[in-house]
Amino acid sequence: MAATHSTTKKKPVAKTIVFGAVTAALYAAAFWNGDYILQLFTKGGYYAALPIATVFVVSFAHGTFASNLWSMLGIEAITKQPAKRPEVRPVPRPAQRPRPRVRLSV
Amino acid sequence: MHDLALEGVKFIDLTWMNIGFLFVVGFIGGLVSGFIGSGGAFVLTPGMMSLGVPAAVAVASNMCHKFPKAMVGAYKRFKYGQVDLKLGLVMAASATVGVQAGIKIQEMILEKWGEAGSNLYVSLSFVTVLIIVGGYVFYDAWKTLKSGAGEQVSSLALRLQKINLPPMIHFKTAGLTISLWFTIPVGFATGLLAATIAVGGFIGVPGMIYVVGATGLISSATELVIAFLMGLGGSVKWAIHGMVDIRLTLIILAGSLLGVQLGAIGTTYVKEHMIKVVMGTIMIVVAVSRALAVPKYLEELDLLSISKSTISYLDLASFLIMCLALAVGAVIILGAMWKGRRAAEPHAAPIVTESYEHV
Repeated sequence: MAATHSTTKKKPVAKTIVFGAVTAALYAAAFWNGDYILQLFTKGGYYAALPIATVFVVSFAHGTFASNLWSMLGIEAITKQPAKRPEVRPVPRPAQRPRPRVRLSV
Repeated sequence: MHDLALEGVKFIDLTWMNIGFLFVVGFIGGLVSGFIGSGGAFVLTPGMMSLGVPAAVAVASNMCHKFPKAMVGAYKRFKYGQVDLKLGLVMAASATVGVQAGIKIQEMILEKWGEAGSNLYVSLSFVTVLIIVGGYVFYDAWKTLKSGAGEQVSSLALRLQKINLPPMIHFKTAGLTISLWFTIPVGFATGLLAATIAVGGFIGVPGMIYVVGATGLISSATELVIAFLMGLGGSVKWAIHGMVDIRLTLIILAGSLLGVQLGAIGTTYVKEHMIKVVMGTIMIVVAVSRALAVPKYLEELDLLSISKSTISYLDLASFLIMCLALAVGAVIILGAMWKGRRAAEPHAAPIVTESYEHV
C-alpha cells in the first residue's frame, strides 16, 4: 500500500559542500600560478576563448554553490506568479473598405 | 598572437585590500543587478581605476564579469517566471545596433574635442538621462506608494499597444502585444546608453515599463537577458585584444554571483513598485555624483577656471557619492526583503514535498 506523507524540504548541505569545494578548486587553480595564467589569458586572438570559457565554468560551479548556500541559510524565493495585467488588443483593421454605393431613383 | 593594444598595459599586483574591495563591491553590485536588472558596473570601473588598473583593462574585466552575472541572474529569475525571453532577444538585437551607433558618436567626439570632450559628453549624458528618466521613475514609484494601488500601465504604452502596425509581436510572459516598430527605439536607446555610460539598463528598464508596457518585475528580469547578450559580445571583443584581467574578473564574480542570486530572490519578497523605488533612487544619486565630475572636464577644455585642489575634492566626492548610490540601493533592497519576509512568515506554509513509501 502506498502512503503519502509530508516532510519539510531538506537543506542542500551536501550539494553546497561539493560545489563549494569545486569552486574553491577552480579559484585555487586560477590563482596558484596567477602570473602565468594572466600571461596566457591576455595573449589575445584565439586565446580569447580561455577567459570566456573560464567565466562560464566558474559561473556554473560558483552559481550552483551560491544558490544552494542561500537555500541552506533558509533564504529562498516565495513562490508567486507575477501579476498579470489585462491585455490590450490592438484595434483591428477593417477587412474590407466600405464600397461606395450608388442609388438611382427613376 | 601578439596584440599591439597590449603594449604598455600594466596589470596591477593584488593586495588583500584590493581583493576585499572588489569582492564587496561585486557582491553589492550583484545584489542591485539581480533586483533591478542593472547596476554595479558604474562603480566597479572607476573603482578599479582608482586601484591603478588601466581604463581599458578595467572596462574589459568589468564587462567579462557582467555577462556571467547577468546569465545567472536571468536564469534564476526565469525560474520564477519573470523573464520574457522573446522581449529580451528583440531588445538585444536592436540594442546591438545602438551600441555601434554609440561607439561611432564617441569616436567622432574624441576626434573633434579629445579625451576631455569625450569625458564631458559621457558625464553630461549621465546627468541628463539619469535626472530626467530617474526622476520620472522615482516620481512614478512615489505616486504608486502614495495611492496604495498596484502598478498601472502607462498611458503611452496603452496607446502604442492599440496601434496595429505590422509586424505585431505577442510577448507571452509580459502579457502584451505591441508592434515591433515600438520596441526597436527602446532597444536602440539601451544600446546607445550602454556604449556611452556602460549602464544600458537605466534606459532599457524604464523603456520597457513606460513605452512597451511591461511590469517593473518583468522589465528588470528581461534586462538581464539583454545585459548577458550584449556583455558576451563585448567581452569576446575585449578578450581578443587581451585586455581581460581574469584575476579581477574572478574576484568580482565571487562576490557578484552571491549577490545577484540574493537580489533575484529578493524580487519575490517585495511589492513590484520597489524595483522602481530602488532604480529611481540610484539613478538620482548617480546623477549627482556625475554632476560633480563636470567642472573637471570643463576646466580641461578651458571653459572654466578652477583650482587643482578643488578638482581633487570634487573627484573624491564624486566617487564616494557613486559608492553611496550602490550602498543606498542595497540597503533599500535588504530592508524591503526583510520586511517582505517578515510579512510572509505567519501566512507562509512550509514547502511540502510528497513521498511514497511501501508499508
